[in-house]
Amino acid sequence: MMAPFFKYGMFGENLSLVVAFLVGIGFGFFLERAGFNSARKLAAQFYFTDLTVFKVMFTAIVTAMLGVYWLSALGVMDLSLVYLTPTFLVPQIIGGLVLGFGFVIGGYCPGTACVGVATGRVDAMVLLVGLFAGIIGFNEAYPLIAGFYNSTGYGQLTLPQVTGLPYGLLVFAVVLMALGGFAGAEWMEKRMAARKAEA
Amino acid sequence: MVDFIRNLSPNRRLALVAVVLGLLAVVGPNPYRGAAASVNTKEAAIQMARGTDQVGVTELADWIVQGRADFRVVDLRPATAYAEYHIPPAENIPVAGLAESSLSRNEKVVLYAEDGARAAQAWMLLKARGYRGVYILRGGLEAWKDSVLFPRIPENATPAQTVEFAKMREVSRYFGGTPQAAPGDSAAAVPVAALPKLSMPVAKAAPAGAKKKKKEGC
Repeated sequence: MMAPFFKYGMFGENLSLVVAFLVGIGFGFFLERAGFNSARKLAAQFYFTDLTVFKVMFTAIVTAMLGVYWLSALGVMDLSLVYLTPTFLVPQIIGGLVLGFGFVIGGYCPGTACVGVATGRVDAMVLLVGLFAGIIGFNEAYPLIAGFYNSTGYGQLTLPQVTGLPYGLLVFAVVLMALGGFAGAEWMEKRMAARKAEA
Repeated sequence: MVDFIRNLSPNRRLALVAVVLGLLAVVGPNPYRGAAASVNTKEAAIQMARGTDQVGVTELADWIVQGRADFRVVDLRPATAYAEYHIPPAENIPVAGLAESSLSRNEKVVLYAEDGARAAQAWMLLKARGYRGVYILRGGLEAWKDSVLFPRIPENATPAQTVEFAKMREVSRYFGGTPQAAPGDSAAAVPVAALPKLSMPVAKAAPAGAKKKKKEGC
């Protein structure tokens, strides 16, 4: 058995939709369990009072990274078959900023908005309407921004390619970065709680 | 040590696991295998012995005539030879370019070159990289010319062979070939048959060649 399963023909296009559905349900379930159906909790990370989002996301990144690394190193997964989103540096920075602004203002990112809707949050429903309006608007405006959208393309970049450092060393560095981030996040949360208590 | 771990909170225990796995990764191998690959020699040997690693030229001709789209044909010869003539739906991928090609591991791929050797080499390379549905065109392009483009009825043909030849005549015409008459039949002898023009068969059947690359991502 070799991963990625789809690329190795373990199941076809039709069954892949079922698999995607189940993975999506699982993703939503754990977002909800982390408390990400509440816009208050999500927006709190931008005020450093509750960094759960940061901690959950970085935990997911580290878990996935270690899993992918070790499965590939042990030979049960072909990493070269895993799709990487190509880098378009400037458009992606701008896109990240737009998403960030939307996140702070609306209190949800796209995935958590769906979780919010599933748990009956009206604000999330409004945000989802805006999200689809944005998608339609983007597509309608695409001919105008296509040039920018495809600018500063670097292809599929990975950290080992960019830094020239060994893959395993970067894995360890990201783990340390995450743990340092967690410690910093807890310290920040305590500080903000203390400040709140003072006021 | 045991007490130290026992006293850690679950979060810290998981963090410790992450650190250990990360630390081991420093001395671990590169997860990208690069050009090195391994082949299941037993499985490959069984396929070779049974002949299930090959597809006959008439079988391939049938697939193309039927308009089946569940396979891809790869011409391994140099681009100039490919331009001169190739089996209608074939795409030109030289052996050196196989690793970067758009072939996927769950597709049925039929390989051919002038004769069997080059195709067999490519078959091994692809097998080693985990491509499962790879086949060699038995006899290569030479067999394609002999049996499909310019079929010849054997002398003293049995009735079954005559029936087979009648069918192959149709197939041959489909691909723009010239069926050869029996050696004794001097009336319709065509000494040197010309290779068919490319435009005709190409236009007629092009099943899987131009498969759209799917866009992935979130």
